[in-house]
Amino acid sequence: MGKNIAVSVKNLHITYRGLKKTSIRASWTKLKNKVEVFEALKGVSFDIEEGKILGIIGKNGSGKSTMLRAIAGIFSPDKGSIDLHGHSISLLSIGVGFNKKLTGKENIYLSGMLLGFSEEEIQKKEKEIIDFADIGNFINKPVKTYSSGMYSKLAFAITAILETDIMLIDEVLSVGDARFKEKSYNKMKSLISDDKRTVLIVSHSLGTIKELCDEVLWLNDGKIVEIGKPADIIPKYEKFMNEL
Amino acid sequence: MKKFLSNIKKYYKYAIRSAKAELKSEVADSYLNWLWWIIEPFCFMLIYVFVFGYVFKNNTPHFASFVFVGLTAWEFFNRMISGSVKLIINNRDLVTKVYIPKYILLLSKSFTYLFKMGISLLITFGLMIFQGVTFSWHIILLIPIIIILYILSFGIGMILMNLGVTINDLGNLTNIVLRMVFYLSGVFYNLNERLTGNLRFLLLKLNPAAFFMNELRNVLLNNSIPDFLWLGIWFIIGLLLCLIGIHMIHKNENSYAKVI
Repeated sequence: MGKNIAVSVKNLHITYRGLKKTSIRASWTKLKNKVEVFEALKGVSFDIEEGKILGIIGKNGSGKSTMLRAIAGIFSPDKGSIDLHGHSISLLSIGVGFNKKLTGKENIYLSGMLLGFSEEEIQKKEKEIIDFADIGNFINKPVKTYSSGMYSKLAFAITAILETDIMLIDEVLSVGDARFKEKSYNKMKSLISDDKRTVLIVSHSLGTIKELCDEVLWLNDGKIVEIGKPADIIPKYEKFMNEL
Repeated sequence: MKKFLSNIKKYYKYAIRSAKAELKSEVADSYLNWLWWIIEPFCFMLIYVFVFGYVFKNNTPHFASFVFVGLTAWEFFNRMISGSVKLIINNRDLVTKVYIPKYILLLSKSFTYLFKMGISLLITFGLMIFQGVTFSWHIILLIPIIIILYILSFGIGMILMNLGVTINDLGNLTNIVLRMVFYLSGVFYNLNERLTGNLRFLLLKLNPAAFFMNELRNVLLNNSIPDFLWLGIWFIIGLLLCLIGIHMIHKNENSYAKVI
């Protein structure tokens, strides 16, 4: 084990064009106009081994989030392919499918089922989620009465406890108050250091990346600049960012 | 098609749960709670009965039941169509964050509408008893009519849902069309009595809302057999629209997140 590939991305291209938002009037007059094409990713290829933690860095607009969303299956690639080799995947995102008028408990089910878990699986983990979220009696109150911190805590607990083989994390390591932040950071660490779990993290916090990741992928303008050990890449990246 | 069925199988539980959640949240804050589901259609019926039965002197027998059957069918059709246009945009959060086959959103919505239609039907039965309409076995034929109505609206809904993502003003257009269809469908008058010849045929058979309304009235109020030929035709049209809709959504759904 450890040598199995969890995700292979081959020559991934994503362009923002395909469907362009338009009005009926515009579609009459604009037929001749050329649609502008924005290439967010221009041929990215890499493999991740099972159990590895990959950090993705790059300046704003370099295609990091686009890539994560493509891997999560929210976009389809315009060219190239993404193969998950049959692993389950989730994009760790806060509060997907929450209905603010319903109680926290009901939202655990809604959100969990949306992430592809069955009712029974959620039932088993329900207590764990509630304990981890640690928001007391508010779990039985409508989510709209929550403070923003409680909201994120519950949302984080759902995605952190309902585990998938591959986790995609987009800048969410800092939710809640200091105590919860530490707790979630530790949970995160224990989650991602499980040897079977593959994790992709997008972050601007180089400290986090350095500490957590086995490998780093540096994206710039939709292309891979370099991929390798954090110790090699991060100094180069820092230098690059300072020169801008 | 296979993909469609396996997706439905995988997600229908979610669709049911989210439909329940939506119904619950709809009434969560109001004092009268779920009673609104009964009060609202009932009040609309009273308005129509007053205006069209009393002011305009309509003497269709059992007019209140007549109106209510029409409203039941109309409301479902109307909700399905107008609800689907902005469905993806209204679920922006969901669509941009997690993968879900997009027709599941429509499926879940349709469950809430079906539920409301069920309530509406129960009120209809109450009203029919109150007005002394005689019940007959024809009432069973309600089931195939509603199934075909559902398939047809689901098909149209999927197509509109897909187009609604890229065409911003589709909502305005469907509003106009729906308003037109509403007045032409005879929710509060009897098309059979008011029109003759080709025009009646055109409005009664080719306008799905009017057709389904009329057939529901036939089996519920007139104790007669529905027009099976046209039911069959609409069934086939409905299936075709569903196939087109499924195909469109499968082709485009992964790009929705880029647009909205």
